[in-house]
Amino acid sequence: MNTTVAALAARFRTCPTTGLRVNSTAEHLIRLNAVFAILAMVAGVIAAFGLVLTRWQAVHLLEAVWYYRLLTVHGVSMLIFFIIFFEMAVLYFAGPVLLNSRVPMPKLAWAAFILMAVGAVMVEVQMWTGKADVLFTSYPPLRAHPNYYLGIIFFAVGALVVVGLFFASLVVAKREETYGGSVPLVTYGAIAAAVIAVITLLHGAAIYVPTWTWAMGWTAMPDPQVYRLIWWGLGHSSQQINVAAMVAVWYLLGALTVGAVVLNEKISRAAFFLYVLFISMASAHHLLVDPGFGSGWKIWNTSYAMYLAVLASMIHGFTVPAGIEVGQRLRGFTKGMFEWLRKAPWGDPGFSAMILSIIIFGFIGGITGVTFGTEQINIIAHNTLRVPGHFHATVVAGTALAFMGVTYYVIPLVFQKQVAFWPLARIQPYLFGGGMVLFTMSMTFAGTFGVPRRHYDISFTGAPFDIQYNAAVDLLLGIMGIGGLIAATAVVLYILIAVWSVFFGKPMPQAATAGE
Amino acid sequence: MAFYGVPQGVSKLPRQEHAPGGGEKEHAEHKGLAPRGTFILVGVFLVAFIVYYFVNWKLLSFVWQVG
Repeated sequence: MNTTVAALAARFRTCPTTGLRVNSTAEHLIRLNAVFAILAMVAGVIAAFGLVLTRWQAVHLLEAVWYYRLLTVHGVSMLIFFIIFFEMAVLYFAGPVLLNSRVPMPKLAWAAFILMAVGAVMVEVQMWTGKADVLFTSYPPLRAHPNYYLGIIFFAVGALVVVGLFFASLVVAKREETYGGSVPLVTYGAIAAAVIAVITLLHGAAIYVPTWTWAMGWTAMPDPQVYRLIWWGLGHSSQQINVAAMVAVWYLLGALTVGAVVLNEKISRAAFFLYVLFISMASAHHLLVDPGFGSGWKIWNTSYAMYLAVLASMIHGFTVPAGIEVGQRLRGFTKGMFEWLRKAPWGDPGFSAMILSIIIFGFIGGITGVTFGTEQINIIAHNTLRVPGHFHATVVAGTALAFMGVTYYVIPLVFQKQVAFWPLARIQPYLFGGGMVLFTMSMTFAGTFGVPRRHYDISFTGAPFDIQYNAAVDLLLGIMGIGGLIAATAVVLYILIAVWSVFFGKPMPQAATAGE
Repeated sequence: MAFYGVPQGVSKLPRQEHAPGGGEKEHAEHKGLAPRGTFILVGVFLVAFIVYYFVNWKLLSFVWQVG
């Protein structure tokens, strides 16, 4: 009996900063998922340099084949692999770690991770070797090598198992009474993300399995309209897992950096619940110009259901900064309207990344997204550069920046290492956020002048017709190129800092982990 | 105390407090704890939202003329 108790105790360590009991399996899985997220980011950012220097019309670096190849690599590596590996780490943190619990069925957890890693490697190999030049959406009749679809299926099944283990860890923690009262708000947000992940991954399985059998030559090509309907249940909903996880990270970083308070638990939890109910329906805004769906269906999903999900984001957009303000005021920063903001820890990369993430996500990503989601307005924005301008503000400057910010806390708290190149780490969020503001704003305005998205050569060189754009377009694409290069450089810095800290970093000094 | 390579939330984790609630609310407002700055920032956001939304409807009316 004593041996069993000793063995169980050995699987936990107590974090000297937070006082949390950290399960060793959870800690190892957080580390590995974070490392694979960074590896995916390396692939994505290499592609990003090529894409920026090609879409910058004055430079126009790549040949068409490599442009579309790297566009596929960039989309899949960043939007699927980087984000979902990181979210798996968030689930292991928000479940077993925050609830002082253990990972149920650890062997299954390791198998799920291996399945995800194998799937990701299979897909990367197919993309880089030119066997899957089908872009992120892979709309039929474009057809990739069967192993591309199989790799995504492996990855999705592995992720689904991790989500199942997260739910199981909630049951185990409740049964073993490792926490009192309700689950923490961050865990509640992760539950919302996990429910959306189930919806997302089931859509993925529903569409990628028949597409794989088609690629194998066993079945007929999936109907393109049905494919688009179901695929966007994966493609867009996967970005909604990001939104829920990002908001959970905002609450976490607010608490860690300035001791932000939660203004009203019920309202914040209700907002997460609105995401679960309505955010998946927002996928319909990708189909607003598709002829196969009626206006009633489009308007219900986008101008009603989607607005309830937007309401949830607006609630969080108020409660997170308001919680920071009240937390700062409780610490004595009560002069005037903005002393709490002026005297905030702007040199802490966790804080600056969180604030920039909130501002860019809300002001650029949120406002443009709701506007394009209106059926009538969508007709002038659809398939223009305004669309990637919008989603780079949400997924990249919003989610990725929030994840970068929390990385600066994961390194000392989970990896127990000092953050390397500390002066660079302190400016990295500003460099990335500033670059993304230039990038997304210029994309959005260039799109307003009719510049198409995804297109290799907007001048249609050698075509029998001539397309004239407003002269401002060249300037805007130049600013887009500069902003993109600044942001991509900041990503390289982030990767360098994270990798160096984890593998070659100095251990945390004992004196640096005392609470207030 | 600041340490090289250690975010301040790790070296000096802020005390986790709860928002003033119930009968404390009036007292909190009196002590200057109400999030007045955030209300202004949210107002700026709403104005930006309204302007961008209606500019897009105006733009649509140029492209898609009725009558």
